[in-house]
Amino acid sequence: MRRLRAVMAKEFFHLLRDPRSLSVVFIMPLVQIFIFGYAISFDLENIPVAVIDLDHSEPSARLIKDFERSTVFVLKPLSGARREGDFAAADRALRAGRVKEVLVIPAGFAGRIRQGRTAEVGLIIDGSDSNVANRIYQYNQMIIQRFAAGLKGLEDIFQVKTKVYFNPESRSVFFFVPGLVAVILLMISAMLTASSIARERELGSVELLFISPLRSGEIILGKTLPYVLVALATGSFILFFSHFWFGVPLRGSLPVLLLFALLFVLTGLSFGVLISTLAPSQRVAMLGSVLATLLPSIMLSGFIFPLDSLSAPLRALSEIIPATHFLRIIRGVAIKGADLRHFLKEGASLAGLSLITLSLAVLRFTRLRRARR
Amino acid sequence: MKGRPETVRAVEVSDLTKLFGDFRAVDHISFAVERGEILGFLGPNGAGKTTTIKMILGLLEPSGGRISILGLDARKSREDIKKATGYMSQQFSLYPLLTVRENVEFFGGISGLDRAEIRGRQEALAGQLPDGLLRLPVRNLPPGLRQKVALFVSLLADPELVFLDEPTSGVDPEARRAFWHTIYGLRERGKTILVTTHNLDEAEYADRILVIHQGRIVLEGDPRSLLETRKADSVEQLFREAIRSHETT
Amino acid sequence: MRLFYLVKKEILEIIRQRELLVLLFLAPLIQIIILGYVITTDIKNVPVEVVNLSNSRAASEITARLRASPLFRVVKLSEKPEKAEDVLRRGEVRALIEFRDSPGRGRWAWTLPEVHILMDGIDANSSQIAAGYVNGIIKDYLQEKLRRAGLPMPVEAKTLIRYNPRLRSINTMGPGIVALLLTILSVFTTAFSFVREREQHTMDTLLMSRLRPMEIFVGKAMPAVLIGLLDMVLGIGVVILWFHIPLRGSVLYLFLASLLYLAAILSYALIISTVVVNQSQAMFFSWFSLVLFLLLSGFLTPLESIWARAPALAVLTEINPLRYLIKIIREIFLKGNGPAFFWRDLLALGGIAVVLTSLSLLNFRRFISK
Repeated sequence: MRRLRAVMAKEFFHLLRDPRSLSVVFIMPLVQIFIFGYAISFDLENIPVAVIDLDHSEPSARLIKDFERSTVFVLKPLSGARREGDFAAADRALRAGRVKEVLVIPAGFAGRIRQGRTAEVGLIIDGSDSNVANRIYQYNQMIIQRFAAGLKGLEDIFQVKTKVYFNPESRSVFFFVPGLVAVILLMISAMLTASSIARERELGSVELLFISPLRSGEIILGKTLPYVLVALATGSFILFFSHFWFGVPLRGSLPVLLLFALLFVLTGLSFGVLISTLAPSQRVAMLGSVLATLLPSIMLSGFIFPLDSLSAPLRALSEIIPATHFLRIIRGVAIKGADLRHFLKEGASLAGLSLITLSLAVLRFTRLRRARR
Repeated sequence: MKGRPETVRAVEVSDLTKLFGDFRAVDHISFAVERGEILGFLGPNGAGKTTTIKMILGLLEPSGGRISILGLDARKSREDIKKATGYMSQQFSLYPLLTVRENVEFFGGISGLDRAEIRGRQEALAGQLPDGLLRLPVRNLPPGLRQKVALFVSLLADPELVFLDEPTSGVDPEARRAFWHTIYGLRERGKTILVTTHNLDEAEYADRILVIHQGRIVLEGDPRSLLETRKADSVEQLFREAIRSHETT
Repeated sequence: MRLFYLVKKEILEIIRQRELLVLLFLAPLIQIIILGYVITTDIKNVPVEVVNLSNSRAASEITARLRASPLFRVVKLSEKPEKAEDVLRRGEVRALIEFRDSPGRGRWAWTLPEVHILMDGIDANSSQIAAGYVNGIIKDYLQEKLRRAGLPMPVEAKTLIRYNPRLRSINTMGPGIVALLLTILSVFTTAFSFVREREQHTMDTLLMSRLRPMEIFVGKAMPAVLIGLLDMVLGIGVVILWFHIPLRGSVLYLFLASLLYLAAILSYALIISTVVVNQSQAMFFSWFSLVLFLLLSGFLTPLESIWARAPALAVLTEINPLRYLIKIIREIFLKGNGPAFFWRDLLALGGIAVVLTSLSLLNFRRFISK
């Protein structure tokens, strides 16, 4: 026990001697949360639209007004238009990105409406950003539908009522905070562990550990425990901060959440140890841990990109990524306030994965050690 | 180097100081190194030897004092000084991933040697080492050979002044003797050598020694005459007495 | 000439670390391919639950369409009222679509039910788009019904999507992924390079040699630039050949923009590497910067929206080199734009590159004479 504590203490001092690192570890995710909280949102705003109105009628003016009134779009005059209906200018504006959409109301618009026929409006959308274009398309549909229904006094037919739960203002922070927490937990547990052990290998001092009477499990525990604590502390700090500053809900029992966080951290740790036994230098260890743990966790865990849209094999892959389960638990229990009962599967998966990775790490470490003897 | 009188000293240091925050690593030291001599720079770890050398070489900015090398101001004439100095740092700083041959090529190249000269040097080194060693990555060399290569590399540009920082640390006595043999050879060729070591019994190899303790010079002079005049049995004893008297003043 | 030896040494060191080579070239390519499949902002297969409390035929017909659509996966069909909050909490569905009959709805009450979409607001992006799809399906259905009843819609929209007609998200993301990976690699490689020298204690030897500070600087930066450009070529090749992303504009300007970007990002990484003390810090700083660059680049969220929401942060986008690269890349690939359109962005990128490079050179000088 004493020997274990010695290893831990050394690791701790190494960490503490580095106040700059610690502050970076804390400040960095904070700044990210700020940006998510203030700058990033799921609602589109301020999208520039140009209008070519060849009808100049009362209905066309009203339609244009409808577009203008929406919070999503902002009307921009077509610069460089040499005449009415200068499509070349519109094309240029679209190409230059000055507008994302051009609304074209052809001549005879009001006439056709009066005759009871269907009048068409043209919408030219810049598709180079497919996500934005998709949303623009949908907003267009909504505006035009409402306008059309209004013409016939059929407004309420097309009323589809929506209600948003858990996040009434559609704030992106609610969605991203669990992911950010997961990322920081992973970074600290996987990367720092990997680099710490790799550094010792580089310097050669790992030999001392190898020949010590400590068991492999004890060595791993001693070297990684400080990082576990730092990781958990930072993760909790971020959760609390987003709760108090941005109002991100924080429900469920804290010890249970910490337990899951611990399991998650253990997986990161084990990966870190595994990678450090394979990497010849610290630099490779770090790059390797980033590529092997961080990137898959970001891409395939539902952190940013929805898992529903993935093909079956990728979805299967996402199930063996610890972050996927961790995020489901945090989002469900901590933010939505669900009962833990419904997430037993995720909890078990997380526990199972951490057990497997931990055993693999210890095994690999022991084998390396035995090879040196 | 043309146009310099022979009476110029190799190195002249006056009132040199280095502060790291409040800590005085080097505390107003002054000394000189004569041309053609071997100066032993002794002192325990942390005494300020490496810091002093780094300042002389321009790797560290002094907090105070003046340094002149071969009559030139160290701060103003860095490029000229670089041409006349060779340096072997404490960690035998060769590139571990590169082979011996590649290290020689690199250091020779950046010292301004042309291809033919580099090749010549590589062959010369090959003659001094066991067969086939040239092709080995440096990290696979035992410390004794690594030291040898590092010394060779520091002399590639045939500098007049050679600064060796702890060149014999971690090296067995046999190799150490061979090393000093090489150093004497360098002195025969007219070079000035400054060697630091924390190994006090290496003092007797040097022409003169300078002992540093806690940033100050506590002992200076020719080791043999010091032993005689102070009636000490070993340099270590000299050293301990010097520290004691230094601490009581 | 001396420079040549330094660059050669740097390259030799990189080649001698096989694992590093894998990380620098093979891994990114694999990453790009995987990312290409994963980063789909095409929302489809959204799990929903349909709660049909209406007796109308319309409700069952619309439900049938929802089930048939590849955009949705109707996980459960219920005819009893459900507590939306509890269902959404469990996380199995992103939205509930409820049909209700409501007596006071005018003359259409007997045919058309009330539709309520109850969304999970946490994954607001997916649920909003899903809601949009539902809207679309319902609207199409109603339009058909009305047309058959002799009441065609008075206004209809004809949409033309330029530059990316099938709205493939890979077209949008693909080139950006290359830029992203380039950034990751450059930042990490360079940030480490100086720290490593210092940790290996060979920096002193370099400084003692006849190499001028400028030469050391360029010599260490050059391999990173070469690696970066090589990766870019490989990455773009993959993205074009594997994912069939169109490249409609000039490759030359692509290279120019990438070169400027590399200069900017490498200088930035160099500054980091002289500011940090050890490799862990280098890692953290690099990662941090990366995320910052990414979020404020227009890659994930349109810049216009950021300006509307947080103008203070939007100012940062103006000095973000990634933002300009993404814009130029997207324009060259998808719109086939020439320099007439993006010369300003190119200039901005160049300016940033010059500023950062000078800063890092100055910083380097200061750093080595400490």
